[in-house]
Amino acid sequence: MLSSHIMAAAPVAAQHASSYLPIALQIVFAIGFVALMIFVSALLGPKRKTNDKLANFTSGITTHGNARQPMAIKYFLIAILFVLFDVEVIFFYPYAVNFKSLSWTGFYEILLFVGLFLIGFVYIIKKRALKWED
Amino acid sequence: MNAIILSAIFGIVMMLSSAFVKNTKAYKSIALVGLILLLLANICETYSHAWLNIPTFDMLEFSRFGLYFNTLAIACTILFSAFSQREIERVGRYIGEYFALIFFVLCGIFILSSYNNLLMLFIGIEIMSIPLYILTGARKENLKSNEASLKYFLMGSFSTGILLMGIALVYGGTGDFALVHHGQDISTSIAGAMNKRMSFLDVAGMILILTGMCFKVSAAPFHFWAPDIYDGSPSVFTSFMATIVKAGAFIAFIRLFAIREEETTILENAIIGVDWKMLFSIIIVATLLFGNITAIFQQSVKRMLAYSSIAQAGFMLFSLLSLNDTAKEGLLLYVVAYSVATIGLFGILAKMKDYTLAGYNGMAKSHPTLAFANAIFLLSLSGIPLTIGFFAKYYMLMAVIQTGGYMWVAIVGVIFAVISVFYYFRVIWSMYFKEGTVELKYPVTKGFKILAVVMALIIILLGAFPQVILNFLYF
Repeated sequence: MLSSHIMAAAPVAAQHASSYLPIALQIVFAIGFVALMIFVSALLGPKRKTNDKLANFTSGITTHGNARQPMAIKYFLIAILFVLFDVEVIFFYPYAVNFKSLSWTGFYEILLFVGLFLIGFVYIIKKRALKWED
Repeated sequence: MNAIILSAIFGIVMMLSSAFVKNTKAYKSIALVGLILLLLANICETYSHAWLNIPTFDMLEFSRFGLYFNTLAIACTILFSAFSQREIERVGRYIGEYFALIFFVLCGIFILSSYNNLLMLFIGIEIMSIPLYILTGARKENLKSNEASLKYFLMGSFSTGILLMGIALVYGGTGDFALVHHGQDISTSIAGAMNKRMSFLDVAGMILILTGMCFKVSAAPFHFWAPDIYDGSPSVFTSFMATIVKAGAFIAFIRLFAIREEETTILENAIIGVDWKMLFSIIIVATLLFGNITAIFQQSVKRMLAYSSIAQAGFMLFSLLSLNDTAKEGLLLYVVAYSVATIGLFGILAKMKDYTLAGYNGMAKSHPTLAFANAIFLLSLSGIPLTIGFFAKYYMLMAVIQTGGYMWVAIVGVIFAVISVFYYFRVIWSMYFKEGTVELKYPVTKGFKILAVVMALIIILLGAFPQVILNFLYF
């Protein structure tokens, strides 16, 4: 009787908060497991500290100076522009998968999208954002 | 659709013209022509001449109310760009870009006035906000401008995150992003059937969305960003942010809750135990209290206007409490009244050397025209009869009284309107009854004076005939 009731309510059940219980359980387990592992390994593992072991390791080269030094703002500009055009490429993946089913409509729309990006590229070039020497 | 696409295109046109047009004087003319074309295109669409019919798959819905709001927003932007064009040119080197960003903000506002899907709400909010973060920090060498920009960016993106979480919870609760379903039988679709059922997830989501939107319109207790950011950013962009953008956020706000009220009944809300009207009345009273009381103690007029914009947001929130036809009409009136007056006040303020109250001393003697216009703007903001501000407040209060049972909110509103008279009149007092010399940072041209007087006349004429604005909503 009860089980048939549940079966009938199954399509509607998706909206109840209780159906998120497995996710909550998984979160609890994930956090608990990681915390336990860190705690137990810190407790059981042997600790032999030497100066060499505590030093920063950067691929064998001895470190010198602080990493937090001011650097040219141009690096950031280039990095940001790279992200912009890199994300553009990511949008091509879903298009490539649906290339045939979208046919010409999809082609025109992706052309519009690339066109807008090209306008941005022209703007960047004209504003000399990629000019390295001043 | 006309307005959304054209505003994006004009934004790109401004961007390219800043790269190719060498003459810096030309930008404002290009922008003004673009804005006027935008206005014409939107009016054409209002009278069913949509040039571009792109299928939006029910993501956008163009109602008369939203389109008419677009018209008002564009008209206010034209007024803004005409009145403070010189100041925009003085902000920095990237004049073309400032206009481009203004066009992009408008694009976001047009989406917000016509969304029918919570995703479009999110996209609209983002398109509206991100250019503003840049405009806030437009004065690059100024530390206060930089600080304001960073604060606005951090807090704005945080509140957008809260809004997005709310949208996710609403989706979890109803299985649907759409506000209204068109063209399909709701009862047969699972999503439609669920839409009618209130769940706790749904309500929790709506409260988070409410939080995010309250931040965008600077309603208490989410108003703390407003004074610092309005004070720090260049005065021209403050006036743009405090008027047109805030109105856009309000349109999104009222659209969401008006449609939601049609979809769900009071009984359903009562089962969950959320009294939205009570929630809104608490927000209104808190906003009016914080805005008005802090505005009294300000010595800088710019900061006073920032706090007064919080207080005015409190009055606009009355429309969200009542959500009836009077409230919608009242919101449109309020947008016009508040925008025109604030654009005028900030336009004159940007010309002055001293932003403090003492800086206004004796303005009536040295600059009688500007003092007259300023006085009219302040009278309208405080809601004195024969100005449009009076009718805006009148419609808001009438809408609340029509709702029934919330008389006390209306009474609190009237009390705070009286308190607001105090700090607005203090400026008029120092302009007319105190001795001193007003020093202007930039010379005032004849055209500027004429435009100031025209704006004052608009306020008085609309105050005499407020129906002029509302008639266009229906005819």
